[in-house]
Amino acid sequence: MVNSSMRSYAKKLPFVFIAMMLATEGQTLLAQFEPLPRRDNASMMNLVRPVTEKISGSVVQVYSGDRPVALGTIVAEDGFILTKRSELSGDPIRVRLSDGQLLPARVAAVRRSNDLAMLRVEGDLTLRPAQFAGEIPPVASFVVSVGRKSNPIGLGVIGAKPRPISHQGRLGVLLQDDRTGRAMVRGIFPDSGAEAAGLKKGDLIVAINGREERSRLGVIETLRGMFPGESVRLTITRNDEANDSTTMDVDASIRDLNVMRESESDARVNGPRNVRLSGFDQVMQHDTVLDPDECGGPLMDTKGNVIGINIARAGRVVSYALPASLILPEMVSMLAEARSASR
Amino acid sequence: MHYYITKPSVVGKPQSIAAAIVFLTLGFGAFGPPLNAQSTAVAPTRGDDSSETKLPVPEGLQSILAAGTVPKSLEQLRSLEQQFGKISAAAELCTVSIKIGQAQGCGVIIDGGGKVLTAAHVAMRPNKPATVILANGRRLKAMTLGLNKNVDAGMLQITPGQNEGADWPHATLGDSSKLARGMWCIATGHPSGFDQTRGVVTRVGRIARVNRSALRTDCALIGGDSGGPLFDLSGKLIAIHSRIGNDVEENLHIPIDNYANSWDRLVAGDSWGTLPGFRPVLGVQGNSQVEEAVIDVVRPSSAAKKAGIQEGDIIKEFGDRKITDFQSLKEAVAETMPGENVRVRGQRDGRPVFFRVVIGRGE
Repeated sequence: MVNSSMRSYAKKLPFVFIAMMLATEGQTLLAQFEPLPRRDNASMMNLVRPVTEKISGSVVQVYSGDRPVALGTIVAEDGFILTKRSELSGDPIRVRLSDGQLLPARVAAVRRSNDLAMLRVEGDLTLRPAQFAGEIPPVASFVVSVGRKSNPIGLGVIGAKPRPISHQGRLGVLLQDDRTGRAMVRGIFPDSGAEAAGLKKGDLIVAINGREERSRLGVIETLRGMFPGESVRLTITRNDEANDSTTMDVDASIRDLNVMRESESDARVNGPRNVRLSGFDQVMQHDTVLDPDECGGPLMDTKGNVIGINIARAGRVVSYALPASLILPEMVSMLAEARSASR
Repeated sequence: MHYYITKPSVVGKPQSIAAAIVFLTLGFGAFGPPLNAQSTAVAPTRGDDSSETKLPVPEGLQSILAAGTVPKSLEQLRSLEQQFGKISAAAELCTVSIKIGQAQGCGVIIDGGGKVLTAAHVAMRPNKPATVILANGRRLKAMTLGLNKNVDAGMLQITPGQNEGADWPHATLGDSSKLARGMWCIATGHPSGFDQTRGVVTRVGRIARVNRSALRTDCALIGGDSGGPLFDLSGKLIAIHSRIGNDVEENLHIPIDNYANSWDRLVAGDSWGTLPGFRPVLGVQGNSQVEEAVIDVVRPSSAAKKAGIQEGDIIKEFGDRKITDFQSLKEAVAETMPGENVRVRGQRDGRPVFFRVVIGRGE
């Protein structure tokens, strides 16, 4: 079986080869073709496989708009799954179970403050939920991320004590009052959602998500409640050269200010990341190299406990997972909400 | 291939320094070949001290320590992670953040008297004041000592009298001559800068490549980590973080023997050499024979061009150095690091002009 870290190794092979050619001091030519000894190489992944197999059947692949966007962790046998909410951008939402079945799903509850969505799989099924348990392991302990077939997809260590991660979600506009006190765009941040949405200097923001905004402060207040990775529908009024005004709706995404400000080479060394990579009540920071679409799945310790759910790939040295102690109460209230709504 | 020095050049808004590669016009050429003087002095004695990072290695991990192999059982894996945990806890006490002006990096205290090892590009210049921040947030006064820029090795001294006579907790110096592919290592540092609520961040990896001037590991580093320590499984300091490539597995560290080999010069505050691929470049030409530092040529897209320096300008001050002729300007640029922000005072048509130059990088 080819696990994900081996896949990524294969992708990087030509690059690795070049790097080794540049520094082969004292090594035989043959040694250049040996895989680099890594902490997450095939032997290490095989070693931790018995750990991840303890939760076989409890991980799904989540598809949004026909694209695999995340993993999901089964939390109730009657078809409830936790995943990363901000990756669910398009319909249809479907999940692929460990046995290969592809099933339609719908969003049954969301918790914006920790970027969690609870999916409900349709059908008469009995699934095997993951049992969250265990304490947060001490710094430098190994943690294993689990894929759909209960295979290890990443291995890393806890890097710091648990802590909250604040966010700086921004639309990316500088506003000023127009003559009537409404919010007028005075400037646009490079690499912001506002720039991507085509906002222009002089545009008036008159409504957000269909709710009228009468003042600059009102706009600021509404936008302040938005997390990175969320999308807002802006109603804007724009005057052209002939002073004819048009009103239109545009969708713009909220991005984290720190990411917008980052230099090109910093973005390059950070590699692919989730858009929602900040704004969590409590996280375990670990150094597992995950792809952004590998969040939503379980994180385990070496004793076989499911200690949390991966919630963001945040940068070159940082992945975040929500700990079991945060997941459990969220899960209970989301299940209650989802079940009462479907009754 | 591209490597980045892992230090944000400006606190709060990290700017990488590798955005542009600037051609060679002004720099270290005048200094001649790098000096290779071997010092006879050795690093401080490696004694037993409870405030050091060295730890006994359990029987069951001896083979992994020596051969750099993978654990054979989950039990051995758990024993390995417990060892990592102990080393990480000890490393936290001696891993420091270093602030010099607007730049931030890391360092590691290596003796009770407060000597700190770091990267040359963090210390930047010898015998200058610096601030050392402990993991608990305590800020200490320090002075930079010597720099071996050929390998990016730097040293600092925490100013005495700041610990009520007690020894500083410090790292046990290791030996990098016996390092081999596959060995496990623990990296600590302050990625993206000091953050009191987060604290020191630990990463674990293995050695992918060893040569005399650099170690490559998969301990993922990023801006802010430069100068931080890399430990082996016995808690001994084996290397100092230096630079990274685009790939998350490309993290380079300075093997510790590079410090031991030029210990006296580093302690004495000497600064020498240039890091391959990180030569500081301004991008101007002038005549060393004339009395003033007159700029004859400004290279297109150079650091000088971007700062607004024009042909005919006379440079009077570069950072805190007075410039008397083109040769002294060359020397002043050679002292900087690529990406560094330098204030420049010049003269144009008899009137003073001011520039802010971001030093370029030459191969």
